[in-house]
Amino acid sequence: MPPLQSSVRTPYLRLDFNAWVFLIPTLIFFVGYQVYPIFRVVWISFTDFEFLSKEPANWVGFNNYITAFNDPLLWASLGRAALFTAMFLPGTIIFPLLLAILVDRVQHPRLATFYRVVLLIPALIPSTLVFVLWKWMYNYQVGPINYLLVEVFELFTFQNAPQWLGGTDLTLPSIAIMEVWWGLGYHSIFFLAGLAAIPKDMVEAARLDGANEWNVFWHVTLPRLAPIMMILVVLRFGTSMAVIDEYLIFGGFNRASPTYTWTIFMYDQAFNLGLWRQGFAAAIGMIGAVVMVFFVAILLYIFRPRG
Amino acid sequence: MSIQAALPTPYTPTQTWFARHRSVIIRHGVINVFMVIILAPLAWVLMLSIKSLPDSMRGQLWPRKFDFTHYNYVIDKIDTLSNNLFNSIYVTGATVFITTFCAVLAGYALVHLKTRGNVVIFTALLLSLYFPTRVVAIISIYEIQDFMGLINSTSGLILPYITLNLAVSVLIMRAVFQLVPHEVMESARLDGAGPWRTLWFIGLPLVRNGLVVVFIVNFVTAWGEFLLGSTLTNDQEVRTMPVVLAAAQGGMGQWAWPRIAAVYVIVVTPGLVAFTFAQKLFFKGLTEGVVKG
Repeated sequence: MPPLQSSVRTPYLRLDFNAWVFLIPTLIFFVGYQVYPIFRVVWISFTDFEFLSKEPANWVGFNNYITAFNDPLLWASLGRAALFTAMFLPGTIIFPLLLAILVDRVQHPRLATFYRVVLLIPALIPSTLVFVLWKWMYNYQVGPINYLLVEVFELFTFQNAPQWLGGTDLTLPSIAIMEVWWGLGYHSIFFLAGLAAIPKDMVEAARLDGANEWNVFWHVTLPRLAPIMMILVVLRFGTSMAVIDEYLIFGGFNRASPTYTWTIFMYDQAFNLGLWRQGFAAAIGMIGAVVMVFFVAILLYIFRPRG
Repeated sequence: MSIQAALPTPYTPTQTWFARHRSVIIRHGVINVFMVIILAPLAWVLMLSIKSLPDSMRGQLWPRKFDFTHYNYVIDKIDTLSNNLFNSIYVTGATVFITTFCAVLAGYALVHLKTRGNVVIFTALLLSLYFPTRVVAIISIYEIQDFMGLINSTSGLILPYITLNLAVSVLIMRAVFQLVPHEVMESARLDGAGPWRTLWFIGLPLVRNGLVVVFIVNFVTAWGEFLLGSTLTNDQEVRTMPVVLAAAQGGMGQWAWPRIAAVYVIVVTPGLVAFTFAQKLFFKGLTEGVVKG
């Protein structure tokens, strides 16, 4: 993070008003659609609010939270989110790191540019279009993945070909593979930017001292990439704990499905079941969010800048 | 006589071309495997969109018979397709424009105009990145939209869409504006230009790389948004393209596989084409804004 403000600036009182005019458009949207909704959801979580019900909502204190904590589904759904994160996070750091180190050494300028352009392509495919594409890739009828497994490599027959999506045990790994593919290029670009910032003579000096490739990687490259890796781990940890679109598209509302995580639990209660028990749903959402933020804070503490 | 033995072994032809270039070959080999993995799904869907109907049900990548009419078919025959495409263009265009506008003004103000709230606003924006607002806030956003009568309205989507990437966009613009020396802005002001003129004529040209990043990041998010789009709308004709595509069951009739693949190609191409034009600016902006911020 760069320093916040330099202190040598002359304070212009007259400019204060002007500055606020510049900030107002952002503040309207930020407060209206992010800050207010969070506080509103906190408030709703303490009521028995049902969206479709005619009855006015009543304050019920911590009842929703107590109900949620006593529901084994809440713990299962939090566990499923954690399981997905454990499947997804290592792959989305290690593969791009490897790829970035290889691409960084490409000397040929045209090839280097070409590789970088290809790397960014998946990042430019909007989220839902990635999911739809992979939904078809995993399809048992036309999907190329099962085509390869059944007809080319003949590892399976049509009868026992794996069913990837739709709430089977393979669904979470399938989604994790898709997400790693999606982030492969974008994360590599991040690491490439970090690699470009390592002074070349540092690497040369280490080599002259007799360090082999592995030593250079471990003692020179990796420490220099640590800040970027930290940002990626924290951001991706957050996104993977709070995945929702993928689960809606691939898993649906089957409670036994591994995709029925706390986000889907919340959505199911808020917009799908009965009279839309949004009070209870809000409590689930807040529990999930607090758990997530708690672990993000721990990660930030572990990765805090030292020295 | 024995001088030969004292010399180091000379180059022998048994060391093949492969052995000498081994590390380079392996490196490019591994990179190219990754490149194929990245491109294969896209190549597959492109091929699917030009297969004949019977071939599409068979797995082979290379069809026995090509059929390029699917593109015409989906544009002519699927009633809501033009609606959905228009909705996507409209919502995405408005979102990108308004978010970029907000982000430029706020980024400029946070760096170059002195206010007492700067640190608070910056911290709030940064913290919001670590909270799953998108998921949790949807309960309240539904209520807000319902209160304003914007449920099942295409235009109504624009408001929550703007917020999806607002914090990131402002932080990117802030990082980019920090690269502009304060003296440059100050001298424009001493020449009598107000903050608006300074921003428009001096600031904007200097931050155009960052602008491209903000543009593309917002385009990608809005063009593919699903959660809000499917929750806040009900009817097929007011929905955006990705929501319709995600709900469509591939297989029969108007959604036969090559046809749905053709729709997919139509939807995914604009972003990729736009990026190839802006590629250089995008990379520069990415390193300036994102990594340093």
